[in-house]
Amino acid sequence: MSKTAKVKPIDLKKAIMAKVESNEIAMKPRWYFVLGSVLLVGGLAGLSVGAIFLVNLTWFLLRQHGPMGQWKLQLMLNNFPWWVPILAIGGIVLGIKLLKKFDCVYKKNIWLVIGGFVVAIILAAGLVDYLGLNDRLSRQGPMRRFYQQVEGQNWRLPGRGGGNGYFRWER
Amino acid sequence: MSQTAKLSDEEVIEIVRSSNKEMYAEIIKRYQDKLMRYASNIMGDDHKGADVVQEGLIKAYVNLHSFDTKKKFSSWVYRIVHNEAMNMLHKQKKHQTIGDKMEFASGVDLEAEFVKKELLTHTHRCLEQMPLIYKEPLSLFYLEEKSYEEISDILRIPIGTVGTRVSRAKGIMKALCQKQQK
Repeated sequence: MSKTAKVKPIDLKKAIMAKVESNEIAMKPRWYFVLGSVLLVGGLAGLSVGAIFLVNLTWFLLRQHGPMGQWKLQLMLNNFPWWVPILAIGGIVLGIKLLKKFDCVYKKNIWLVIGGFVVAIILAAGLVDYLGLNDRLSRQGPMRRFYQQVEGQNWRLPGRGGGNGYFRWER
Repeated sequence: MSQTAKLSDEEVIEIVRSSNKEMYAEIIKRYQDKLMRYASNIMGDDHKGADVVQEGLIKAYVNLHSFDTKKKFSSWVYRIVHNEAMNMLHKQKKHQTIGDKMEFASGVDLEAEFVKKELLTHTHRCLEQMPLIYKEPLSLFYLEEKSYEEISDILRIPIGTVGTRVSRAKGIMKALCQKQQK
C-alpha cells in the first residue's frame, strides 16, 4: 500500500479516443434504450397483473374452504396447489427488482416503495375478488378451464366426495 | 477550442451524439482528473483507479444515447465510474473494513496533485481506512465538492441517507484520524 512510487500519468484521452476513432467502440443506437424502457415498463406491468391474478387466485382457492378447522387445514396443506402462491410471490419479487431499476425510485425510501407495491398488489387482488371478477372468470370465458383445473388439483381426494375423485367444499 | 470550452457538458454530449464523435475528447479532458481522483480513492490504488475510469468512460461513450440531457452529465458519469469501481472491487473481493490490520508505510508521500498539503494527505490516509459506504459519500462531498442531491444521484440512495452517511462518516473519520495521530 506504499505510495512512495510516483505513478506515471496515464493518457486516458489518447487511449479512449483511439478506440472511438477506429470504431473499436461505438455508441448503442437510441432505439436500443427506448426498447429497453418499453420492455421495462411492459415487464413491470405484466408482472404486476400476473401477481394480482395469482394472489387473487390464492384468495379464491382459500375462500372455498370456508372457516378453517384443524382437519381442513391439514387437507389444505396436503392438496393445495402451492405453485399458485409461490408464483405470486415470485412475481412480486421480480416486480420489485424491476421497480428498483426505475430512475426515480432510489430517491424514495426503498422499504416504503416495496411495501407500497406489495400492498397495492394485495389490494388490487382483493378488489378483483370483491368485484367478483374471479367468480365470473371461473364460470365463463377462456379462463374457465384453467380455474376448473386448479380447483381440481386443490380438492383431489381419492375415494371421497362426488365419486370422481374430487372433493369440494360448499361455498 | 475556446468555443467548445464555453459549452456545457450536456451541449457537448448532444454534439457527440448527433454529429461529431471526436468531441468526446472534450468530455474526457473535463472529467479525467476528477474521476481519477474519485476512483483512486475508492480503489486505494492509482492504477486500478485509472483502469476503472478508462472502462467507465468507454461505457459512458457506448451508452451515451441513454443519457438524458435534461439531467446533469457529471452525476451520470460519476455513477458509471462508481458502478465500475464496485464491479472491480467485487471481483477482487477486496472490500475494506474498519480494523487495526491496515498498516501504512511510514513517510507516505501522496501525489501532489491529489492533495493539498499536509491536511489533505492526512485526510486521504484516514479515508482509506473507512468502510466503502461511508468513504464514498464523504469523498464525493468533501473532495469532489458534490451536493447531497448529486451524491444521491451518483450512489442511488435517498438524500436523507446521504446526509446520515456523511454525518456518520465524519464521526468515523474523526476517530480514525485521532487514532492515527496517537
